Amino acid sequence: MLDEKTDEQNGSRGLSRRQFLRWVGAGAAASVLASSGLGLLRPLSAEAAVKAARARRTAAPPTQFDREVATLCEMCVWRCGVRAKVKDERIYKLEGNPFHPHSRGMLCPRGQAGVATAYDPDRLKYPLIRSGPRGSGKWRRLSWNEALDYVAAQMLAIKNQYGAEAMIFSTTHNLVQTQFENMLHAYGTPNYGTQRSLCYNAMITANLLTFGLEEPGRDYSQTQYIIYTGRNMLDCISNSESQDAVSAIARGAKVVVLEPRFTKTAAKATEWLPIRPGTDLAFHLALIQVIIEQGLYDADFVNQYTVGFEDLKQATRTYTPEWAASKCEIPAETIRRIAVEFAQAAPQAFAHPNWRTSNFLNSFQTERAIACLNALVGSWAQPGSLQPVGGEETAGLGDIPQPAFPRVTAARLDGVPWKYPLVPLKLGVFQELRDNILTGQPYQAHGWFVYRQNPAHSLPDRTKTAEAMSKLDFIVTIDVGMNDTAWFSDVVLPEASYLERYDPLTVVDGTVFIRQPAIAPLYESKPGLWIFKELGQRLGLGDWFQYKDEEDYLRQQLAPLDITLEELKAQGYYHLPPTGGGKSKDLLFNTPTGKIELSSKTLADNGFSAVPVWEEPVSNAPDTFYLLSGKVAQHTQCATHNNKLLHERVPENPLWLHTTPAGERGIKDGDEVWIESPVAKVKAVAYVTEKIRPDCVFLTFGFGHVSKALVTAYGQGTSDSILHQSFTDPQSGSQALSQTFVTITKA
Amino acid sequence: MDQPNTSPSQRRWVFVMEPERCIDCEACMISCSVENEAPLGKHRNWIDKIEKGAYPLLSTTFLPENCQHCSNPPCERVCPTGATYRREDGLVLIDYDKCIGCKYCMMACPYDARFVNEEKKAVDKCTFCVHRLDAGLPPACVETCIGHARHYGDINDPNSDVSKLLARYPSYRLYEEAGTEPAIYYIYSNRVIE
Repeated sequence: MLDEKTDEQNGSRGLSRRQFLRWVGAGAAASVLASSGLGLLRPLSAEAAVKAARARRTAAPPTQFDREVATLCEMCVWRCGVRAKVKDERIYKLEGNPFHPHSRGMLCPRGQAGVATAYDPDRLKYPLIRSGPRGSGKWRRLSWNEALDYVAAQMLAIKNQYGAEAMIFSTTHNLVQTQFENMLHAYGTPNYGTQRSLCYNAMITANLLTFGLEEPGRDYSQTQYIIYTGRNMLDCISNSESQDAVSAIARGAKVVVLEPRFTKTAAKATEWLPIRPGTDLAFHLALIQVIIEQGLYDADFVNQYTVGFEDLKQATRTYTPEWAASKCEIPAETIRRIAVEFAQAAPQAFAHPNWRTSNFLNSFQTERAIACLNALVGSWAQPGSLQPVGGEETAGLGDIPQPAFPRVTAARLDGVPWKYPLVPLKLGVFQELRDNILTGQPYQAHGWFVYRQNPAHSLPDRTKTAEAMSKLDFIVTIDVGMNDTAWFSDVVLPEASYLERYDPLTVVDGTVFIRQPAIAPLYESKPGLWIFKELGQRLGLGDWFQYKDEEDYLRQQLAPLDITLEELKAQGYYHLPPTGGGKSKDLLFNTPTGKIELSSKTLADNGFSAVPVWEEPVSNAPDTFYLLSGKVAQHTQCATHNNKLLHERVPENPLWLHTTPAGERGIKDGDEVWIESPVAKVKAVAYVTEKIRPDCVFLTFGFGHVSKALVTAYGQGTSDSILHQSFTDPQSGSQALSQTFVTITKA
Repeated sequence: MDQPNTSPSQRRWVFVMEPERCIDCEACMISCSVENEAPLGKHRNWIDKIEKGAYPLLSTTFLPENCQHCSNPPCERVCPTGATYRREDGLVLIDYDKCIGCKYCMMACPYDARFVNEEKKAVDKCTFCVHRLDAGLPPACVETCIGHARHYGDINDPNSDVSKLLARYPSYRLYEEAGTEPAIYYIYSNRVIE
């Protein structure tokens, strides 16, 4: 009677969820380790697990646990507070920590699925060294000592032969970043790669130049009007802010969404404007024009706290709604109405600064216009407006002693600042770094140290990245799983998952939070803090890693505070003593003039427009489409596709294609199609829908992994990065990810 | 969160959903699956998407769903072994040891809330997280809902969250005409609160 297909027959390969969560129980794990020679083999204990599961089939799930560990999520960069429920050394369930301002007791789908990252059968288990050509998947197991000795020897050889600058270090925003930066600065290279130029360079540089801070906060509590410019807040979940957005919408706040695609944010918005890609700048310039022309700006605020109003007024005089309508295909009367509504709602209103703004070469100007728009209506430091937030994530914590870094004189390969004078060093221009590995200019790089990052898959024009990697003598990758970059590396070091390790403490809104192990590191994986110390010592850089172990690092951070590590571990958080000051600094701006710079002399001095100015974006030729990319709620960038719980929900990324062009091409929903860009041609499955502009197609990014060690995710879906061309905005260093044009044909 | 303050027979557990607050993120589905160890590919709860219109005039409504824990459950009536039963506080549950897998209940359920759990060799569905409820905890789906779209509580307690919501806003239930007396109430959208 029970003849339903099993998961395996249905195509979701491998172990079921129940099985893979259970097999890691101590006995099973030991037998798997013993029976598999290589770290890549999958567990073989499914049968045993099924038997055990059946024996318990009538048992209710547990409600009593051995311990609940307060720690921090790492399924994205939002770092929500988590309670990990542990019984018999197995993590059963993750729940949001009600004491953490980022989670408030709730976790998003990725946070909920964290157990499947820890218990991913494809995790890296031991240090590995390549025993065949790069990408052949042939590996030999090393001991940690062998692996670290080898990596250190390679890095020292490169330094001795070519100079420290021949070594590139890259990572993505994380809590061990201080140790990562110690490693690269002490080693002596200027070459620091981050993901930021593929993400929010345009937003950060625009806000630094306008407000003197990286990213204004948003107070949703009383806001009456929000404009999202491509910020898909309800698909791209930032837990607490997404909660706030839903509450604001339910409360009746007006939400305008500029987006070529009917996203979930658009579905919840009051008004969805399917704007022509690349023309958000025209829309915002027109809002500024109307608000100035009709005198709707906050004159007191503008006079007191901004500079350059007259310049802005002059520069935007011709940017009328009628002009903008011809660019962005939104009716002039709509633009005029929104300008008036927005100004009237202010200061309980904000145009969101957005996040991933690497869309068009003019995205920096778009972000400048948005910043100026907010300033004009006085959306600053008021209930319901933008907020002056920021500050160090380690403020108030003790420092770990370390000497000064050696002086570095070599130029950066990514062109900062010699080609990109306004790009902050800690943002960089990652795609340019990759390009200059290929060109060998201004000098040839020889090694790449990759930590918790997957540039082989995330950088635009993936083929070029593979070529660049092939020019390097040595690549080492540290990660939890065998990501695509690790797959093409020479040495791979397994890091403990976020549920198995300490990371340095972090401060959020005046409260210290701890990431601490819920269970011991699985297999031979090690925490990043341990790896950096061990490698640093082997490189002769031990002075920059003055801690005995991870707990000692945290104890040194806690030294100035009235709490022990044991107490913090039990409580999970600690409120720092108030620092005073309160809101007295809210209207002090860290810009050259000390005011909000509607007109920026810094920009003018570097040969750019001092005020926001229209830059005509490229547009699509007939029969070509804008290739758009973005996120779904169930995945984070390139990092989560091998998580079985998330893969089960979103296993691939069909190509969104509007009904009309699909019909013209004889393409039906579910058909295979070819996507061809100037740099690649790949297959995808069509999702034929009304929910996208007819001149656009869309792929969720991060799919189409090439690492065969990611057994769940390998080959699933279509890579967007292989299709993307590289274009860099000279002002912010931002990659323009939405101005690659593609043709679509039925396969 | 509501704590029971009456005897079980006086309680009636219900869900109240606010579709306006559901963003279809599926955190509830994954939370449920991990909590209740549902097999990969099978879910005790889900989100219905109601899409309307043509470009550019479109709308989508998201309806969080799971077993409706009906007061008049068709699944219970057709179960030949008594595996499906109704607890005195209204929860419709399954005694997995009594289930013979005949699937009559799956045919009878108008909400398509049941599935065959191969690992249990039994039919399975939402239990309202009865094990958590009995331990004083909210259902796993409610606890993690970042949109606050899912609420639960005792509809017989006038001070419960759900009673207050239902007193304040008009609501509807799915397939009420079937006479199943479902225990999930949906608040009508497009309202302004506070």
